[in-house]
This record gives sequence, structure tokens and C-alpha cells, in this order.
Amino acid sequence: MTTTFDGLREVIVRDYELPPEKLVPDTLLKDIDIDSLGVIELIFSLEEKFDITATDTAQEFNTLGDVADYIDRLIAERKARPSAGAGMRE
Amino acid sequence: MKRVAVTGLGIVSPSGNDPVEFFDNLTAGRSAIGRLPETLSARLSTRIAGSASFDASAHFSAPKLRMLDRVSQMGLIAAAQALESAGIDLTDEERCRTGVFLGTGMAGATTTDEGYGTLYRDHSDRIKPYSLLMAMSNATAAWIGIEHRLSGPNLTFSTACSSSAVAIGEAWLRIRGGDAPVMLAGGAEAPLALGTLKAWEALKTLATEDRDDPSASCKPFAKNRSGLVLGEGAAFVVLEEWEHAARRGASLHGELVGYGLSTDIAHITRPTIEGQARAIRLALESAAVAPGRIGYINAHGTGTAANDAVETAAIRQVFGASADGIPISSTKSMHGHLLGAAGAVELMAALLAAQTGTIPPTMNLRVPDPECDLDYVPDVARFGQDIELAMTSSFAFGGTNVVLICRKA
Repeated sequence: MTTTFDGLREVIVRDYELPPEKLVPDTLLKDIDIDSLGVIELIFSLEEKFDITATDTAQEFNTLGDVADYIDRLIAERKARPSAGAGMRE
Repeated sequence: MKRVAVTGLGIVSPSGNDPVEFFDNLTAGRSAIGRLPETLSARLSTRIAGSASFDASAHFSAPKLRMLDRVSQMGLIAAAQALESAGIDLTDEERCRTGVFLGTGMAGATTTDEGYGTLYRDHSDRIKPYSLLMAMSNATAAWIGIEHRLSGPNLTFSTACSSSAVAIGEAWLRIRGGDAPVMLAGGAEAPLALGTLKAWEALKTLATEDRDDPSASCKPFAKNRSGLVLGEGAAFVVLEEWEHAARRGASLHGELVGYGLSTDIAHITRPTIEGQARAIRLALESAAVAPGRIGYINAHGTGTAANDAVETAAIRQVFGASADGIPISSTKSMHGHLLGAAGAVELMAALLAAQTGTIPPTMNLRVPDPECDLDYVPDVARFGQDIELAMTSSFAFGGTNVVLICRKA
């Protein structure tokens, strides 16, 4: 099964041309040159991939794990909505 | 008054990505104008331009590239090249006084175009977070300052087609007046985005594509000229106070000796003979040279009906009888009109012409126009010329006329 982190890693490898082995949950965003605006851009790409809508991108993210946790929360919120489910890709 | 040496050159252009390649292509009469990619040309009636070809990934990391509009990519590459060729090692105190002056007409037009696509075409609100920082007019100059730790004045001039000539002229004034030991000055333009191309097309100033040879579509000073051909690129010069350059034994590409600026107030696009002539006179005055001593003019020569006839008349007005003896060429016939970067690119052509004694030709001038009756060096370069002083002109929509004069070192 593809995890959220796998999906996140896939987008970063594609957009930032970084080696996948360098991308683990503890990887600091600043170590891979992704700043606060870069995180928002990353989350935009993930919104499409996971069919979610980011509501609060102003929060602090330090590691890739922080971003994955945030995406997981949004996925859970989407699943909890009454209308969610039908026709969603995942 | 301080003297101002040119100690570094850098360029990314349709005609080449270093000064030697650029000038070799010009003197060989090789046109860099060609068909735009299908993604753009499908929606255009004018399907030609001077595109620059460079490998951005060889210069920038993937994360950095996502923050740079094409105009800043080209500007950063040309600026780095100019500084490297100058071989200059600035002290911390000098870095605080060394400025970056850049000219650009449309700045990050590609980013703006993409943002509008997202918003209006895709009906999405996911505008790239870097959009503003990529599109803003001063982005390129700011990045160059950051990259090379130059913390003197960092200014962006936007006067359409004379933007980079203004930037270089104003930088020259800073050194001449003793305010700065070194200035990095030039321009960058990346107008080959669909929205920008369509806007130019709507203005009805672009050349009709030559049916037999699209690369020959820009025909400055010819009777059958039909307009300008857009180009993209960036060029920078390192300007250095003469003694500063001499002390470190810098190799010189020439001396910048004159800068004239005037404004046409008749109309937003229509040039005037008086306005252009005044800019030439002011440049000659600031250089303290008699008109007869100019040995080469790199003309503005856009290939539009209005410019080329007015420019010819302005040159006649200033130079009088000696006008017939001055070789004049428009290298736009080969690299296209680089708009905000044009002044810097063409100053480079003028500097290299003086330095090498070679005058690049005006291409595609087969049908003479009685209104354009000067020596435009048609088709073939002239070698072995003794050019002490060369002049280059940049006349802009909005009326800002700029003339720069350089001397062989």
C-alpha cells in the first residue's frame, strides 16, 4: 500500500530532483532547501494527489514527517465528512 | 570626473551564450531568428522569434530553479559570466559600494502568464506561492545582488526598449561621480510567453514572416521592412573606475565615455527626429568628442517603418555631411529585439566591434529605401577597421531615448 509519506516523497523527487534515499520523515526541510513558500507549493501538489484541501498552510513545518502528518490529518478530515467517499480517488 | 573601464562581459542571447560566440555569429551574418515552438506558434500569426538556448539545470539546483522566472535565470547567468570574466576580487568595503543596475521591460512575464492561466483558464486558486517574487520587476537584480554579495545600490530601470541602456548609463554616472568603484549593469528580458507575444501581435509592430526564409524576417532599413522580431536574453557589463582597474591589472574591453538621454513627449510609440538627435548630441557632449570621430554606430534599427526612417534622419541631423562616412548596422536583423536587454546586448556588439576592428553587418537589406540612405553595412561584415569610438542607440516606447558611446581600450 502506498503511504502518505511515499506520495510526498514521489512529489519531491519529481519536482526537486532529490534522491529518494535522502527523504525520510526526519529530513529537515531546510536541509533540502524547501522554505516556507516551498512548503506551500509542495502542499498544493499534494492537494491534487490526495484530493484534499489545505486549510491552514500558515503553520510551522520542520521536517518531511510534519508535512506527511498534516496531509494525513486532512485525509482523515475529508473521510469524516458525510459527503466524502463516493468517487474519490485514493 | 573618473574614467570608466569595461572590465567584464556576460551574455545569454539567441546569438550565443558568451561574448566571443555572440560576436562571431554576428560577424558571420548568422541569423538566430527561427520558429517558436508549436505550443506557442499555434496561437500566433507571427510565429518567429530569437530564442535563447541554455541549460538552466547546469546553473541552478532544482529547488532554486522553482524560484526563478526565465528572465532571472538568464540575468543571473549573464551577470555571473560578466563578473567571472572581470576576474575581480572585491573587498567587503567595496562590496558595500558596488551596485547592480538592471533594465527590463516586462520582468517576470512568464510567471505572470502562468499565474493567469491557473486563475482564469484552469479556474484554480492554487497560484504558485513564489509567483510574486518571480514576477516582480526587481527580482532579477535582487537575486544577482544576493548571489554575488553586492550590497551597494540595487536598482531596476524599466523604460521599455531602452531599459538596459539606461541602467548602464546610470551606473556609468555612479562611477564617474566617484560614488562607486565598480558597478554591474545590464539587462534581461524574457518576452516569449503567450500572453506577451499576443500583446505584441495586437500592437501590429511585429514583422511578417519571410516566406522563403523565416530567419530573414527582420529587415532593418530595407524598403520591404515589416516590423520587429522579438528576442530574449540578458547581457551585463562590469564597469570599473579606471584607476581601480589599472591597479589590479585588469584586462579591458573598452571604456564607456558617453551617455545621452532625452524623452520624446509627442506620443507613446511614435519616435521623433528631434528627440533621438538630442540624445545623440547629449551623448557626444558628455563624451566631449566631435561627431566626426564616431567610427561605428550600432543602430536601434528595429525594422519598423517609423523607427528606421526617423533614426536615419536623426543621425543625418547630428552628423551632417559626415553621416555618409559612418558605418551603421542593426544587429537586431540577426538576434531580434531584446527589448529591455537590447541596450546591453548592443553595447556589447559596439564594444567588440571597436576592440576587434570588425563591423557586424545589417542582414536582409536587399531592397533600399530612399528614406534610409546611410551606410548600413549590408550583408557582409567589414574587417580591419580602425574604430576608436563606437556609439549605440536605444529608443523606447514611452519615449526614453538613450545613446551610449564607448572607446576602444
